[in-house]
Amino acid sequence: MRVTTAEASEPDGTTRRVDPVLVGLWIALVLVALIWLAPFVFMIFTSLKTNEAVMATGAFTPPPEYAWHNYTEAWRRGRFDTTFSNSAVIALIKVPLGLAISAMAAYALARMSIPWGKALLLVVLFGTMIPFQVMLAPLFTMVNRFDLIDTYPGIILPYIAFGVPYQVFILHGFFRAIPKELSEAALIDGASHFTIFRRIFLPVSIPVLAALFILDFVATWNEFAMALVLLQNQNMWTLPLGLMSFQGQFSNDYGQLNAAIVMTVLPATIVYLMFQRYFVSGLTSGAVKE
Amino acid sequence: MHLRQSLGNARVQGWALLGPAVVIYGIFALFPLLDVVVMSFQRWNGLDANRVFVGLENYRFIFASDPVFWVAFKNTVIWTILCLIFPPLVGLLLALGLNQKLFGRGVLRATYYLPVIIASIAVATMWRWMYDPFFGLFSQLMTNMGMASSIPDWLGDRTIALYCVFVAHLWHSVGFSMVLFLAGLQSVSQTLVEASRIDGAGGWGVFRYVTLPALRPTITIVLVLSVINSLKAFDIVYGLTGGGPAQSTQMLALWAFTQAMQIFDYGRGAAISVVLLLITVAIVVPYLRWTQKQEEAAR
Repeated sequence: MRVTTAEASEPDGTTRRVDPVLVGLWIALVLVALIWLAPFVFMIFTSLKTNEAVMATGAFTPPPEYAWHNYTEAWRRGRFDTTFSNSAVIALIKVPLGLAISAMAAYALARMSIPWGKALLLVVLFGTMIPFQVMLAPLFTMVNRFDLIDTYPGIILPYIAFGVPYQVFILHGFFRAIPKELSEAALIDGASHFTIFRRIFLPVSIPVLAALFILDFVATWNEFAMALVLLQNQNMWTLPLGLMSFQGQFSNDYGQLNAAIVMTVLPATIVYLMFQRYFVSGLTSGAVKE
Repeated sequence: MHLRQSLGNARVQGWALLGPAVVIYGIFALFPLLDVVVMSFQRWNGLDANRVFVGLENYRFIFASDPVFWVAFKNTVIWTILCLIFPPLVGLLLALGLNQKLFGRGVLRATYYLPVIIASIAVATMWRWMYDPFFGLFSQLMTNMGMASSIPDWLGDRTIALYCVFVAHLWHSVGFSMVLFLAGLQSVSQTLVEASRIDGAGGWGVFRYVTLPALRPTITIVLVLSVINSLKAFDIVYGLTGGGPAQSTQMLALWAFTQAMQIFDYGRGAAISVVLLLITVAIVVPYLRWTQKQEEAAR
């Protein structure tokens, strides 16, 4: 990001004329971006400082010496081995399974004449808009009735249920836009809907599925409220729950607290940076098509 | 006969494809949604085998006897208004800027978007540390500027705590609005922009008469999503202040949760939830109608 304004004034290389308005805009945007990044810098610097260094040095002073042990200590005290593996298991089962279920339903609603199909779609669409926090208590009651509190299925099934609306909504729109000719020939040849779904629709929708996969992975990884209600046993906690409890217990160990935040945030950040393109297209394909 | 058979077959196939989603969504989303309404007319501590029907008693209590409810209600309204103004406005400004051909705009876009992918509970933990009255970022910055004597107790002062929480939320959510606006800006016709430029329109004129009208659907969507997300404000408040100090950051979603899961009064919690649900429906249904009209008009 260390570039001179002279470079910035040749935006696409085709023109060498310096537009002072654009230069001013660029400077403003970079300055605000630095403010946006400042919390990250502050957090990463703190995560590598000892408590004495936190109190003695300024917020944006690099650590005098790197206190890597903050990370190992935070990992141990925050029981990251447990919470990390719980989060990983839940996300790695929930995301592909939920996406498969949503894709199947979206296909049926988009390409088959299902009785009450339209009403069903509306009910699903409504699901994208209700704040799920309103039903945490009845959800707890429901999961408890199945004796699934503190189990993987007990959190994965509700996660799938709350992922269905958005994913069906997006995939339904996408499947409907696929030309009829593509599937009709196969249907006449006697192929079942299962075959058409698997052989034709799934392959052509890989970019959308990839986008939804990334989006859903990050959302599942970050989810807090439902996990708070449905996972009461410490051995079942996910990363956000672990971080919350860490903050409660060790909030005065500034370095370790920040190391814990960094470790919680890092996996989703890496996934995002690697698949950024898909991520953004997934977000916008549903919202801004009209 | 053959036709009939394949029709029946297709129906079976349809339900096989639709089945898992409908069953899971029905059991774990729709049923709790209906149950919360039923629960709001009952008294239950979460343990008893019986849920006692009490009519409107829970509603009477939250409206007439629960002082926290109205504080939470007021805070939710303030919060929603803040969420309607600032994230969309800042997001729009950033999107307009980053829609220009600027050096490194990809990096800039990614920077603004980065906070969005962070767990809101991590954002809360991060900001709680930044609001630390002694060693936190803001207190340090004020000390450096020679204002050490007037450092407020950011999250402990009931007059400003809600706004401090909102600033964290703003940092967290602006990138989301920005991305939606950037996508919306792709639909602005470049030919129209060129034409109005030739006709002598300045930057403001182009924005006012070409860009803004083209962005109308996007603006509506961003505003509706902002409202919906603002009503969902839970994690960030829970993590930053837990509703305190003295309920000054209490919100409906959090208060409903507290009543049910911590005070074990499921009925009152459910009644608060229903109020929140009704507010959401009042906002969402007109929006759904509007989108349907738009779609019909496009056909």
